[in-house]
Amino acid sequence: MSSTDVAPKVLKLPEVLDLNAASRLHEQVLAHKGEDIDIDATDVTRVGAQCVQVLLAAALSWRAEDQSLRVNQASDAFIKTLQLLGISDEALLPKEMLK
Amino acid sequence: MDMNEIKDIFFQECEEQLAELESGLLRINDGDTDPETVNAVFRAVHSIKGGAGAFGLDDLVAFAHVFETTLDCVRSNKLQTSSELLKVMLKSADVLADLTAASRDGGSIDKSRTSVLVKELDAFAKGTPLPASAPEPVKQEAPAEPAPQATDDSGFQPVPFSFDGFEDEAEAAELPDEAIAGRSVFTVRFKPRSDLYAKGNEAVLLLRDLARLGDLQVRCDIDTLPPIDQLDPEGAYFSWLIRVETDKDEEAVRHVFEFAEWDCLIEITPGSDDEAFSAPTAAGEDQPMAPVPFDLSMLEEEPVVPAETAAAVVVPIAAARPAAVAAVEEAPLAPPSLPRAEKALAAEAEKKESAVAAVPAAPQTIRVDLDRVDRLINLVGELVINQAMLAQSVVENETGGSSAINLGLEELQQLTREIQDSVMAIRAQPVKPVFQRMGRIVREIADMTGKNVRLVTEGENTEVDKTVIDKLAEPLTHMIRNAVDHGLETPEKRAALGKNPEGILRLTAKHRSGRIVIEIADDGAGINRERVRSKAIENGLIAADSNLSDEEIDNLIFHPGFSTAEKLSDISGRGVGMDVVKRSIQQLGGRISITSKPGKGSIFTMSLPLTLAVLDGMVVTVANQTLVVPLTAIVETLQPEKQDIHAFGPTQRLIAIRDTFCPLVDVGHILNFRPDLANPIDGVALLVESEGGGQRALMVDAIQGQRQVVIKSLEANYTNVPGIAAATILGDGRVALILDVDAVVTASRGHALSSEMTLSATG
Repeated sequence: MSSTDVAPKVLKLPEVLDLNAASRLHEQVLAHKGEDIDIDATDVTRVGAQCVQVLLAAALSWRAEDQSLRVNQASDAFIKTLQLLGISDEALLPKEMLK
Repeated sequence: MDMNEIKDIFFQECEEQLAELESGLLRINDGDTDPETVNAVFRAVHSIKGGAGAFGLDDLVAFAHVFETTLDCVRSNKLQTSSELLKVMLKSADVLADLTAASRDGGSIDKSRTSVLVKELDAFAKGTPLPASAPEPVKQEAPAEPAPQATDDSGFQPVPFSFDGFEDEAEAAELPDEAIAGRSVFTVRFKPRSDLYAKGNEAVLLLRDLARLGDLQVRCDIDTLPPIDQLDPEGAYFSWLIRVETDKDEEAVRHVFEFAEWDCLIEITPGSDDEAFSAPTAAGEDQPMAPVPFDLSMLEEEPVVPAETAAAVVVPIAAARPAAVAAVEEAPLAPPSLPRAEKALAAEAEKKESAVAAVPAAPQTIRVDLDRVDRLINLVGELVINQAMLAQSVVENETGGSSAINLGLEELQQLTREIQDSVMAIRAQPVKPVFQRMGRIVREIADMTGKNVRLVTEGENTEVDKTVIDKLAEPLTHMIRNAVDHGLETPEKRAALGKNPEGILRLTAKHRSGRIVIEIADDGAGINRERVRSKAIENGLIAADSNLSDEEIDNLIFHPGFSTAEKLSDISGRGVGMDVVKRSIQQLGGRISITSKPGKGSIFTMSLPLTLAVLDGMVVTVANQTLVVPLTAIVETLQPEKQDIHAFGPTQRLIAIRDTFCPLVDVGHILNFRPDLANPIDGVALLVESEGGGQRALMVDAIQGQRQVVIKSLEANYTNVPGIAAATILGDGRVALILDVDAVVTASRGHALSSEMTLSATG
C-alpha cells in the first residue's frame, strides 16, 4: 500500500480555514487515506482551532500507520497560530518550522 | 440568511431571555436563594447584551451592561439582595424590554426613566444606596469593576464576526516582553466545548486576546483527539493550559472569555502551575491537565443544563426548556452558523461523552412560522369536513352491506380526529408569556397608585390555543388594572384594617372540562355593593326600588358604561369598562363571572374554549335553515308549554321558566328568515345567557343534534353578517351559519332587527 517511491501527493490548503472549512478539510484529508501527503499551507492567512484539530488528528493517524502527512511549507500566519495554540507535536509540523 | 433574519431571531430570543430574566427575578423576590437562579438572570441580561453588541444596538448594550454589572455583584455575593434592589431590578427588566422593543420597532423610550435606573443600579453596584454619578447611561462607567471596564468596550465588539484581520492579530500575539515589576501570573485552564465553535467563537481568537494581556505560555492537551476517521471536524478536542504573565488583574483575564464562558470549561487561578509546565510536553504522555476537564464542580457551571433544571424545579409541569432552543438562543452571537448550533448539539448528544452524558435528554424543538401551522389547521379542518361528507354519502348510498367500507370509514374517522387533536396541540401554548406580561402591568399600576402589590401566578404552563392566548392579553390587562386600582386598598388602609400592607393578586390558570379557566383573585376590599347599587341607580341602570341579589349587584359592574371609580384615573378609567372585558371574553366564546366578599376580596373567573378553530355547537333548524348555536352560550333547552307563554306588549312574548319570566326571542324572525312570529309551542326554546347577565329564550324550530364543528370565518371568506358569528360546513356539504347569540339578543332588545341587520340586506 505504501507508496514510498512515489512523490507524496500535495494538498494545498485554502486561505481561510475557519470553522466552516473544517468538515471539508476533514473529507479532503480522509480521501487521501493511505497515501503520503505533503501539506502546503503557504496560502493560509487564517486557521481556526478546529481545522488544526483535523490536521493534527490526521498527522497522528498517518503516523500510526507509518505514513507521512506533514506540513512542509507554511505561511507565517499558519505557524504563528500553531505556536499560539501551543501545538508542539512534530507529527504535523517539523520542529524547525515551529522555532 | 441575511442580516435582518438574524436580527429577527435575535429579537425573538430576546423575548425569551426577557421572560427568563423576569421569572428569575420574581423567583429571587420570592426568596429563591439558589445561585443558579441568579446565574440564569445574569445570563439572560448577558446574552441580550452580547447579541445587541453584535448588532450595534448601543443603547441596549449600555443599559444591559450597567444592569449586568449590578447583577454580577449579586452573583459574586458582593451585594445582598433586598426588596429595594429587586424593585429596581424588576424595573430595569422592564426598561430592558422597552429598549429591546424600541430597538426592534424603532421609536424611543423614556430616557429619564432609564437614567434614573442606571443611577440606582450603579449605586447598588457601588454599595452606596444613593445615586451619585452622571445620568448619562451610555458613558456610564461601572465602578464595581474598574479594571475590566477598560477592555469592556472591545469586549462588546461582535466577537463572532471578527475573523478578519488575522494578520494584525497574529502580530499582537508576539507582544514585546516587558519585564515589569508587579506583574502577576495566572494559570488558565481552558477547555472549549463544540458549542463554542458552533457559535462562531474561536479558541485561536481567545488565546490571541489573552496574549494581548501579557506573556503566554501555552500547552495544548491533545490527548482526547481521536483518530482522523473518528473525528468530528466540528467537535472540540483540544484543551489548553495557559500561563499568563500580565500586569492586569484576574478580572481582565476572565474578561477575555466573557462571551465564551458558557461554552467552555474555564478555570483561572492566580499563580503559576509550574509543575504542569515543567512536565514533559510531548503528547501522549502523562496528562498534567487530566483533572481539569472532568472536574465535577466545573460541570455544574455548565450553562444550559442548570437553567433547565432550575426551571423544571420551580414549574414542575413545564416541559424543560428544550436544549435546542437554548442553543439557538445564543446563536445571534454567531449568526452565520445558526444551524450548526443545533447540529453540534445533536452531535454532542450522540457522543454521550463527558458532561453532556449527564444531561437528561431535553425535548427537541423547532421554530415554525405560525402561518404554516394555520394552513395545516385549515387543511385538517377541510379533512374533517370531507371525512364527514364521505361518511354521509356512504350512508346515503346504502352500502351498509359492505362492512369493509364501514370499517374503513370508522378508522378514517378516528384518524382524522387524532390528526385534528395533534395539530391543535401544535398551536397550544402555555399562558406563561401572557401571565408574565401581567407582572409588569401590576408593577406599573402599583407604582402609579402607590399600592403595594404582589402578583402570584399559578398554572402558568396551562396550555391553550395560540389564537386564544393572543386575545387573552387585553381583557386580562384590564382586569388586572381594575383589581389593583379598585380592588386593593392602599397600604395604609390595609394596615389600619389589620391586613398585610402588601396586597396579593393571584392569577391562576387551569383546565376544567375541556376549557381553560383563568381566575384573578385579589385580597382587597371586595365589591362595595352599596356604591355599585347607588351608582347604578344614578346611571339609570336599575330602578331605585329594585330588589337585587348580591350576585346581581356584583354583575352590574359588567353593565355597559358602568364605572364606580370616584374619579377617572389614568389607569382604569379610560372609558373602557368591565363590559368591554366581558364582551371580548364572550367573543372568544368565553364566560366571565365574579364572586366577591366584602373585606376579603373579589375573584373574577373567566372560562374560555381551548381553541377557536373548532366549536361545540348545537345544530338547530330555523325556518328550514340549519344554524349552529355555540354550546357554551346555552344554559338549557326546553319544550315550551302553552300555559308558559305570555304576551308582553304587541310584539314581545315571555316564557315562564320556574317562577321567572324570560323574554322569548324568535331567531327566525330576528334573522328575517320569516316575516311572522312562529308559534312557540311548535318549536324548542334554548335558554341562553346574554351580555347583561340576564337570560333569553331563543326560539328555534327543532334541534338536530350536538356536534363539533370547524369554524370558517365569514369575514375572511365573505363579509361580516350581523347576527352571524361564523360559518361551518356540515357533513352533507352544506354551509351552516353559526349564530352570534349576543348579537341576536341585543337585536331583540330593540324589539326588531333594523333592516341592515338582516341577511337579505347583506346578501
